[in-house]
Amino acid sequence: MAAAVAPFFLADETGGQRFGVLHRPATNQVRGAIVHVHAFAEEMNKARRMAALQARAFASAGYAVLQFDLLGCGDSSGDFGDATWDAWLADVARAAAWLKDHHDAPLTLWGLRAGCLVASEAARRHALEADFVFWQPMTTGKAMLQQHLRLHVAKDMLDGQAGGGTQRLRERLAAGEALDIAGYTLDPALAAGLEQATLQPAAGGRTLWLEVSTRDDGGLLPASASLVERWKAAGHDVASRVVKGAPFWNATEIEEVPDLVAATTDMTRRERVDECPA
Amino acid sequence: MDTTQEIIRLLDEVLSLGGRSATFTRATPLLGSVAELDSMAVVSLITSMEERFGIVIEDDDLDGHTFASVGSLSDFVSAKLAA
Repeated sequence: MAAAVAPFFLADETGGQRFGVLHRPATNQVRGAIVHVHAFAEEMNKARRMAALQARAFASAGYAVLQFDLLGCGDSSGDFGDATWDAWLADVARAAAWLKDHHDAPLTLWGLRAGCLVASEAARRHALEADFVFWQPMTTGKAMLQQHLRLHVAKDMLDGQAGGGTQRLRERLAAGEALDIAGYTLDPALAAGLEQATLQPAAGGRTLWLEVSTRDDGGLLPASASLVERWKAAGHDVASRVVKGAPFWNATEIEEVPDLVAATTDMTRRERVDECPA
Repeated sequence: MDTTQEIIRLLDEVLSLGGRSATFTRATPLLGSVAELDSMAVVSLITSMEERFGIVIEDDDLDGHTFASVGSLSDFVSAKLAA
C-alpha cells in the first residue's frame, strides 16, 4: 500500500511550484476530497501543527486531504511579496482540480482564519462546487488587513517610536507601495484583494463553522453569530459549533485544541447539517 | 466583571504564560518586563480585548503607556467600557 502521507510539488503555468502534502484516506472508499487553505502570514506557521492533526484525523475517517502552501508561503515558489490575491484564488482552484483528478469525491474547502476568505472567494471566482469547513473565520478581509497592519504599529510602539497608524499604512499601499510588516512584504495587489474579500456560504453546498473560545460558556463571536443567523435565514445549509481551547493561530506557544479536531471530523462525517449537535 | 482579573486571564491565554499570571497584580509591569509581549502578542492581545470586552481600539490608543503595566491596561479598558 502507498504511504499514507506524500509530499509533492504542483506546477503552475509560469514554471513555479506549490508545495503540497497529500494525506491518503485510510479506508478503501473515499468519503470526500478536502483541500486545506491555510491562514495568513505568521498565523499559518502557528497553526501548522493543528492543520496537520486535522488532516490526519480526516484521513483516518476516510477523506483524501490536500494541504498545500499558497504562492509565496511556506515551501512554495516565491516570496510573500510576490503573492497576489488573484494568484491565491487560482492556487486554490488548481489544488482542488489536482485532488479531484486523484480522488474523485465531493469537494470540501477547509479554511482557517483568512484562509476561509480565500476559499470562499476562490469558489465563487472559479465556480468550484464545494462544501466549506471554516475554522475561526475572518468575516471580512478588511479586518484581517487591519490586524496585519497593526503589527507594524505595535512594533513602532515597542521600539518607542511614534507610529503613523494603520490609516497612513493603507495610504502607502493605495499609492502602490509594498510594505514590510513583521518580516512579510505585503504587495498592494494582495492587500487590495484581501481588503475587498467577504465571507460567503457554500453555494448549493453546506457550510460548517467552528470557533475556539477560551471561556467555559463561550458562544460564537458576536459578528459570527449574526452572520450565521443571516445565512440560515436566507436558506443556506449552515451548522456551527464552539469548542473550548486556546487561540492556536496566534498564541505565543504552539497550541493544540484536540476538541476542535474531534468536533470538525464529527460534523464533517454527518450527512445533514441538522444532525450536527450545537 | 472584574476588568483587572479578566485582563490577567487574557494575558495568560494570549501569551501562553501557563498560569504564571497567578502572581500578577495591578503593579505588575508588562512592556519590557514580560518577554512574551512582542508585536504579534500585542496585536493578539488588542484583538482579544476587542472581542472579549466588545470595545473598539483605535490606532491612536496604541501607546507604550497603555501596555506599561497590568493596572494601566486595566484602566484603559475600563475607560473604553465607560465611554
